[in-house]
Amino acid sequence: MNRKIFVAATVGALMMLLLVSCKPKAALAANIIIGTTDKVASLDSADAYAVHDWEVIKNISDGLLTWKPGTTDLEADLATDMGKISPDGLTYTYTLKNGIKFGDGTPLTATVYAAQLNRLLTIGPKCPNDVADTLAVPYVKSITAPDDKTIVFQLTTPIAFFPQILAGAPYVASDPNIFKADACNLFPTAPVYGVGAWYIDSYNADEQMVLKPNPYYTGPLKPQAKQVIVRFYSDPNTMALAVQSGEIDVAWRLFSPDQLTQLKGVSKLSIGTINGGAIRYLILNHTQKPFDDPNVVKAIASAVDRNEIVDKVYGGQVNPLYSMVPPGFLGATDAFDKMYGAPNLDAAKKYLEASGYSAANPAKIELWYPPEHYGASTAAWMQVIKKQLEATGEMQVTLQAQEWSTYAPALTGGKAYGAGVLGWFFDYPDSSNYLDPFVFNRGEGTNVTTPQEGSLTGIPINDKAKQLVDLLNKADIETDQAKRADLYKQAQDIYADLVVTLPLFYQAEHVVYRSDIKGSSAYATAETLNIGPNIVFYYSLIKKG
Amino acid sequence: MSPIAILALIIGIPSLLLLIYVFVRGSTGLRRYILTRIGLTLPMIFILATMVFLILRILPGDPVTSALGPKGTPEQIAHIRTTLGLDKPLVVQYGTFLWNMVTLHFGNSLVGGHRPILDEMSERFPATLELILPASILALLIGVYGGALAAAQRKRVVDFSLRIYSVVIYSLPVFWLGLMLQLLFGLRLKWFPISGRIDAVIGTGLKTVTNIYSIDALLSGNGPALLSVLQHLVLPTITLGLILSGVFVRMTRVNVIETLHCDYIAAARARGIRERVLIYGHALKNAMIPVITLIGLQVAILLAGAVLTETVFSWPGMGSYLVERISARDYTAVQSVITVFAMLVALISLAVDVIYSLVDPRVRY
Repeated sequence: MNRKIFVAATVGALMMLLLVSCKPKAALAANIIIGTTDKVASLDSADAYAVHDWEVIKNISDGLLTWKPGTTDLEADLATDMGKISPDGLTYTYTLKNGIKFGDGTPLTATVYAAQLNRLLTIGPKCPNDVADTLAVPYVKSITAPDDKTIVFQLTTPIAFFPQILAGAPYVASDPNIFKADACNLFPTAPVYGVGAWYIDSYNADEQMVLKPNPYYTGPLKPQAKQVIVRFYSDPNTMALAVQSGEIDVAWRLFSPDQLTQLKGVSKLSIGTINGGAIRYLILNHTQKPFDDPNVVKAIASAVDRNEIVDKVYGGQVNPLYSMVPPGFLGATDAFDKMYGAPNLDAAKKYLEASGYSAANPAKIELWYPPEHYGASTAAWMQVIKKQLEATGEMQVTLQAQEWSTYAPALTGGKAYGAGVLGWFFDYPDSSNYLDPFVFNRGEGTNVTTPQEGSLTGIPINDKAKQLVDLLNKADIETDQAKRADLYKQAQDIYADLVVTLPLFYQAEHVVYRSDIKGSSAYATAETLNIGPNIVFYYSLIKKG
Repeated sequence: MSPIAILALIIGIPSLLLLIYVFVRGSTGLRRYILTRIGLTLPMIFILATMVFLILRILPGDPVTSALGPKGTPEQIAHIRTTLGLDKPLVVQYGTFLWNMVTLHFGNSLVGGHRPILDEMSERFPATLELILPASILALLIGVYGGALAAAQRKRVVDFSLRIYSVVIYSLPVFWLGLMLQLLFGLRLKWFPISGRIDAVIGTGLKTVTNIYSIDALLSGNGPALLSVLQHLVLPTITLGLILSGVFVRMTRVNVIETLHCDYIAAARARGIRERVLIYGHALKNAMIPVITLIGLQVAILLAGAVLTETVFSWPGMGSYLVERISARDYTAVQSVITVFAMLVALISLAVDVIYSLVDPRVRY
């Protein structure tokens, strides 16, 4: 290569730079581009078990019931009404609306719908993500269609929160031409149709998904864009830059506190905060020393100052949590605040001294945490908790870090660790999903019950635990929502008294969008683009321009 | 036919033809050399694969429970362990792993969609190729001509500047440089896009065949798509290319200076050949021989740089795939990607050595 070639190459490169810096025509206003750091893991409603998958599925198809946008209140969707419940609470009957069609024009009948829902019970447990073993098999005995308009669910046990489960993505109508009865189809070939407002025109699991309006959709959530493009990002920092530069219109879900602080100062951007359902708490193993001593766990509950974690570590981007049930859910209370008024070091000392602990003989506590799984800030707030507990002068705390794959089974197995941090996100937006899992059947390592063959709840370890189990059982079958709320309030008091777990804080979700993007004022929380505490994002409700 | 199969044909057939040509037309010594290098490459790949397999199993924790998290039921855990063959003895797992590697059946991903890893890699690999090829060309252009220029201007301002440049650019973290370019050219000046391979809207109209978008845009005659692809390539290419160029500048400079002291250069200079011709026409050619070796060595660094560059620019290639799967503790995918990377480095080293033996006839075993 000689100098001439070098010069030619350099000039060529410069010309190329000049050429490529001429932007192609801007995207049509009719396109809305939503960035997300989530990935598609499955589009099969009988299998999908991830927030983003459910979001997509709920946009391309509908179920018998749904949530009113921006809320967790239920309303009829494909059903004509809220259905009929048999007196024993075991049979739910729904009537299908007329004229519902899939995006390819195939009519939806009750027979087709019931057959597709039965996939949850038949092939669902064999699918990789296996949502069925959590949200179908334990509760649903059979799904039948006595005629072309009626669908009947026979439950294994009466559960009052079944309508909340029914409103979720696993129970939408899936297209029988795409999702066959005998096989899971996680990544069907596009186009993927449902009976919802949109259909998937094309997608690449790593780059983007294109959704277009379903021509046969007759429901209330009419699309307001020619197409919605969901763009996948591997790094939230890049997504934050992309929404600032206007490459995307909406950036959704996972931002760090630092990113949010920076984005708040950017003009032409709005940030909607959704008090979602992601919580953090300490699992306390009630069969391991010293946590088997009620005074020790009460002392911990009295000493922990949640506001210090919120302010010092998260700069106010998370909220203190005083019950496992976050605010906004049925019957949520501030049970821990009322009972312990934390931080209350004097009370903590009294509890410890009642069990014979002192400065000379402190309670020795090991707190475990996964340093990477819940983000880098976990180590910081675990340090804060350590200092708070040691401020009593009667607790000596050792922090132990363990990689997630070892940590999770060791903690929830209820044998290896005495205490450790864990996070939770609901499977269905109901208070039962924030209480039952930590109490029933070893309770994710709390051991307030011991598993028993054939029992859904297990055997309580003491009288208070028995009271709690009974209350939760009652609440789970109570169909009167006011009575259910009352039962959950009572249950939270006992839960706090037992300190089954120690709720710490709940994390809000954030949607960042450009100033020309608007939510629908016809529904709740237009400022969060109508995303409610159930974290369901209806793409039809956003409008550009 | 999958994109990776098309790519394998595009790259594989010419490479095979070249190898056959060299083998048929080359001397006995050259043939022996190539056979020896191939003979050394195979056990190297085998050792690398074995190390990857063992290291991932020595690491603490169970990948299945990690992937499922606290909500995973014992039935789910048992089901996935059986599906993946993790319930079998280690020796059986190792045998299966080696056989799968040979047959390119990497199994299914442990997390997310549980898709076949080969499918996922075949979607991701073209993106990485589309990034590392122009980045390598850029690094070579800057490195070789920068090095030659520094040698020509030895101990002058240009030389000092280029030497400082080579050290500074090599020591810069890739993600920092990428972020700075994004902030300056993407956010402030708005010259180039910040992320992705193609504009979201324009991308909907691009028919993909090879998954190398620039080629696909050319094949389909889609001008706006080609323009958009080139725009999206600029910042990641510059990021990766600049980082790599530092080593080439230093290496070329040193070699050109050494070559300039050779007798044939002195003879050429005595015959009155201009200095510029001497450097760029004569010295640089010989100085390039060690640089070719360096290219082979830089492939591993190039791939490591691609991991960070792809993450910063949300470039859906093999690098970002590896990062995602490490975060998700998807050991099956991690094991496969590392093995493929190792194979790639080994094969490119082999190719570089073959080329080196062609360029420099003194190299023989």
